[in-house]
Amino acid sequence: MAHETAAETPQKTFGLPVLVASPVDVGRLIRELEVIDGALLQVKLQKDSQDRLPKTSHLMDQTAQLNKLDLSNDHDRKQLQEFLVLVKQKAPILHISFSADPTTAFIEKIMAWLRREIHPSVLLTIGLQPNIGAGCVVRSTNKYFDFSLRKDFETKRDLLLGTLGAAEVTAARTASAPVANAPAPVAQGAAT
Amino acid sequence: MTIWWLILILATLASIGGAFVWLALRIGQAGSGSKSKIQNGSIEEAADQDVEHIFNEQFREELRNRGRLHFEKIIGENAMFLQQDLRLTTSQLNEYMKTEITQKLQEEFSKYEESIMDAKQLAIESIEKTNAAIDEQRQVIGLQVQQEIAAEKQQMLKHFESNMANIINHYVLAAVGDQIDLSDQLEYILGDLEANKQAIIEDIQRGA
Repeated sequence: MAHETAAETPQKTFGLPVLVASPVDVGRLIRELEVIDGALLQVKLQKDSQDRLPKTSHLMDQTAQLNKLDLSNDHDRKQLQEFLVLVKQKAPILHISFSADPTTAFIEKIMAWLRREIHPSVLLTIGLQPNIGAGCVVRSTNKYFDFSLRKDFETKRDLLLGTLGAAEVTAARTASAPVANAPAPVAQGAAT
Repeated sequence: MTIWWLILILATLASIGGAFVWLALRIGQAGSGSKSKIQNGSIEEAADQDVEHIFNEQFREELRNRGRLHFEKIIGENAMFLQQDLRLTTSQLNEYMKTEITQKLQEEFSKYEESIMDAKQLAIESIEKTNAAIDEQRQVIGLQVQQEIAAEKQQMLKHFESNMANIINHYVLAAVGDQIDLSDQLEYILGDLEANKQAIIEDIQRGA
């Protein structure tokens, strides 16, 4: 599940778990990290002997686990924060629209492929376009890729019109044929 | 015409009467002339006496009566002739008037009939021309209507065909879109992404 993605940092190579998909998730991690910093600072100021970490989210846990970081360690937290800020500022963002709301498992599979094939720290925003029927519409920084069924239908419009025209001709011949020739279409259909 | 006949008859009678008087006087004068050579004086007297004796009042009255009767007879005969002529003339006049009136009426009737026939012919020609014009106009209008209907039909067919693909696409998308699960589309989506992977990578690397 945790496909590793790496980003070059001076000290260590960091990665993002596939559940961290969108810039919102990254921002949420940054804010959570700031909360953890604040909480640990409070503990330190209160001279509490125990370093009690506040309860962290599943995303933060996976991120820390993936990067083998100890969130109670200031240095690790600082490195993670720098990495997350760098990702938020520099990571490429793809926008993909589907015809229905995707499930988490579906997003994980898509993210795993994107980070494996496109970019290790790519982020994804999900859109909803019910009128595309099936497939997806991908919008990158400067380009627009329409992989939808609607686009496929538009591409094959001439084929559809040709089929409709052939069907019209066949229907017209059948309608204009005399009664004596009525069995002909049956034989034709049987032959086909 | 009757008056003229009457005047002519009266003039004839007057001339006959005059001639009768003149003849009587001439005879009288001839008798007295032969005797005058022998005995002028006595004879003349005798003649005067004889004349007086022969042509006395009774004889004169009888002559007058005869002349009156003859005159009346002639007048009667002429009146009868005049009446016959009048009848004949009246009948001829009637025939003439009848013939003339009939001829005139026939001519007028023929002219009237001819004018009626001309008017009828003109009316028929006018009606035929009008019918021809109406037929021509109807053909032109029919042709125009057929052309417009054909053009409209072609336009509708073209419009229908152009929209048919959109209608079918819309229908299929609406019908199929809800039935295909995203999980079933994953392979298809990944295949499309794989096919355009290089373009996406290049766009990402190129940046904004």
